[in-house]
Amino acid sequence: MKIDAVRPYVVENLRYALNPRTIAVVGASRASNKVGYQVIQGLKDWNYKGKIIPVNPRADSVHNLKAYKTVKDIPEDVDLAFVALPAHLIKMVLEHCVEKKVKLVVIASSGFKEIGRGDLQDKLTTYCRNNKLPLIGPNLLGMGSPYSNFNCGFIPYLPVPGPVAMISQSGANLLAALGTSQTTGYGMSFFVGLGNKADADFAEFVAYAGKDENSRCVAVYIEGMDCEEAFISACKSVVPNKPVVTIKVGGSEIGKRAAFAHTASDAGPSDKHYDEIFHKAGAIRATTWQEFLDMTLALGHMPPLEGDNVVMITNGGGAGLLASDELERRGYPLHTLKEISEGLSQRIQAYMPMFGSPLNPVDIAGTACELHYEGALIQSIRDSDVDGIIVSVCPTSITNVPAIADVIINLHKTYSHLNKPIIAEFQGGEECNESILRLRKEGIPAYPTPERAVSAVVALRKYAEIKKKCR
Amino acid sequence: MDKKEKTEGLPYDIGGSDRQKWMNKYFFAPRGMGFLEPGIVPLDHPAMSAYNITKSAYQIRPDVFNLDFVAKETGLKKEEIATRISRLYDEHLILFIINPATQVYGWGLYYWIVKLKEGTPESVKAEFSEWYQNKDEICTGFETKGDFDFFNGNHMRVIDNLYSGVINPLGTRPEVEYVHLTPIRRDVREDRINMWDAGEDGYREYLFTDDEINRLVKFQSKVDLKDLKIVRALNKKRPIEDYFNFKALAEVSGLEIEDMKAGIRSLVEEKKIVVPLVFLNWPKLGLTQRMFLIRLFQIIPCYRKAEIVDEFTKVPEFNQVMEFSDSFYDIALWACNETTDIDKLRKKIEDYGEVEEIKESDVTRQYRRWVCRLDDNHGFWEECVFTDDFLQDFAKEKRCQL
Repeated sequence: MKIDAVRPYVVENLRYALNPRTIAVVGASRASNKVGYQVIQGLKDWNYKGKIIPVNPRADSVHNLKAYKTVKDIPEDVDLAFVALPAHLIKMVLEHCVEKKVKLVVIASSGFKEIGRGDLQDKLTTYCRNNKLPLIGPNLLGMGSPYSNFNCGFIPYLPVPGPVAMISQSGANLLAALGTSQTTGYGMSFFVGLGNKADADFAEFVAYAGKDENSRCVAVYIEGMDCEEAFISACKSVVPNKPVVTIKVGGSEIGKRAAFAHTASDAGPSDKHYDEIFHKAGAIRATTWQEFLDMTLALGHMPPLEGDNVVMITNGGGAGLLASDELERRGYPLHTLKEISEGLSQRIQAYMPMFGSPLNPVDIAGTACELHYEGALIQSIRDSDVDGIIVSVCPTSITNVPAIADVIINLHKTYSHLNKPIIAEFQGGEECNESILRLRKEGIPAYPTPERAVSAVVALRKYAEIKKKCR
Repeated sequence: MDKKEKTEGLPYDIGGSDRQKWMNKYFFAPRGMGFLEPGIVPLDHPAMSAYNITKSAYQIRPDVFNLDFVAKETGLKKEEIATRISRLYDEHLILFIINPATQVYGWGLYYWIVKLKEGTPESVKAEFSEWYQNKDEICTGFETKGDFDFFNGNHMRVIDNLYSGVINPLGTRPEVEYVHLTPIRRDVREDRINMWDAGEDGYREYLFTDDEINRLVKFQSKVDLKDLKIVRALNKKRPIEDYFNFKALAEVSGLEIEDMKAGIRSLVEEKKIVVPLVFLNWPKLGLTQRMFLIRLFQIIPCYRKAEIVDEFTKVPEFNQVMEFSDSFYDIALWACNETTDIDKLRKKIEDYGEVEEIKESDVTRQYRRWVCRLDDNHGFWEECVFTDDFLQDFAKEKRCQL
């Protein structure tokens, strides 16, 4: 349901969705194949430290925990009620939650607007709003945070801790990001699947992420947006300090229909309309899921790219060409070293063989070892006219890939005070994948292809431009 | 085309004017294995709302039942009735369920009896019993003592699954003397309530005589006369609109009263594919049931078999009446050992010249009541288990090994 503006009581209480002290699982089940069982199993498996209270009127205990017939029968305070019950029971459960003064309720159940029961969904949402009980869902997958070992819902993964607040209307895409987090090192501060988004809106999660100390970048997957003004306003308040990246689907004709069937979302007017919304909001729009992840990874770890003077150091001419073409296509062409800084070309040449190219991309050649990389990178980073670095590695038989990764990590630590983004690109076999993971673990965005590295650079540059407008 | 027109447009729709007109073209009976009839509804369909809400809320809101009706029938105050229903539930003496016409839903409804060899240790029987209790693929089951040892049932879409899931694992055990299938031809009465196959105007009649109630009150101390009158009133046949308290259902769910009424009416009274009932947990009351398993002479024609079943149905003490098909046996009749005159009932059966053989066993334990587990000693009271073989191949999965 529509909101005109971010509601402070919702933003204040969203913390209970991600780090509750006490969680009531309403619909807790004794049967291991049911959602109400698996939710509790998941909380236990991920070492949730708070108190779990099952609610089930048919059982005295569930998971060896004392069960209560209703939420209002629970003797202690309840921060979060997670409801996995059929739609026809939700009204009663919400009344019990209000009576019990529960801080926030999450409804996982389906069977509302997405199957034509919009009236019921609106009626329940109005009730929650009248009683200042924030509601997340219904028809959602779950939410959690690796910082509090909290994973609540039907999600079999907990991501690695990191800077990205992942707010998704799609459970499947959220699962994709969460599932690959462990293997790709894509770290999150928290994640939430919004489902039908009846009450708590994107805008309120954006505002919450703006205040969350673990979140340094806000990622929002959108199927339908019905509170545009609130979203714009929330983003505007956040982007001076943290970037917001969006991906909006449902632009195709069949996509619009699929979005409604999925989360009862009205995909809205033209795609161009959303370009304008995001422009007003100061949000960066990604067009593919991969780009969405790549951009948010970079923005979560690196400072904005304050100017166009990017130097690319590579031992592979082909990688350099792919990157420079892509940068130009996206409106951010590379400049030659001579254009960037007087003398930089000469200084870097000391670290390359005579058959290398000191243009930009700087090809330090396939014979380059970690010492060549270190020298060229130091010269680039320390040059006050250079705004950011792309470092690219193509493993030849004499390339010590892990040693080059070590060089990048050390330089990042040494020169982080200069606030210049470093983007790494390692294209090759397993040794490259391992180095990408090590770099990401150290907070350096690293990618397996030049084009993906360029997405990261573009995002960092766009964010700098947005920030400049905010001043 | 709106939804209503679309439904009515289905050929041979259950509850519609064309119902089973297709038999004008074909000559085999509409019942049997694996039929999917037009007009069925899934259990989470909005038409099921009244039942679903009641099933999920009566544990904490007994007023989801029409207590005004119960008060009128029993002369008790509504508050007392509500308190008693809550107590009966909390002590696991009653359970609210529906009985669905599974054969119409596309399953075969198969029962089977199991006889263990003479001298089989009780520990082996106990092992079989635990297997039945925990085997989620089986929706109904009973432990018995007498001429046979188990009587179980399940709705299945694929006969292979029945064979792989149940018959094969049982039949290969050396302790088993025989397993006989008794597929259901007519489901006439269960737990004292007449089902869709009762014929004439008997559908949904609840038969619990004063005599049986009085005997039951004297036999045990867990329920008294008032409790039993409440149970009888809850189950009494009346228009389904009078069965539930739709105002309470709306309070619980937020759904529209008229929508809920129309939905449940169409299922119970028009399509006749579900019957709600309040099950009295007879094992918990210390009762046992005598099961008469009747074999007619094989020369008896089908119409006569049906007539005999109808005649037995007129006897209210037979609280369970089933007619079988394609089986060694033809009819199952149950009566409560503690509240009826079993010898008199046996004599009544023996009076039929068409009866060739009667096997008798006492039913001492029930595992489930329509997919709801009854074993409160395991902590699974009213846990609903999955008992469908939809899209499954048990033979391939080999997951039902005993």
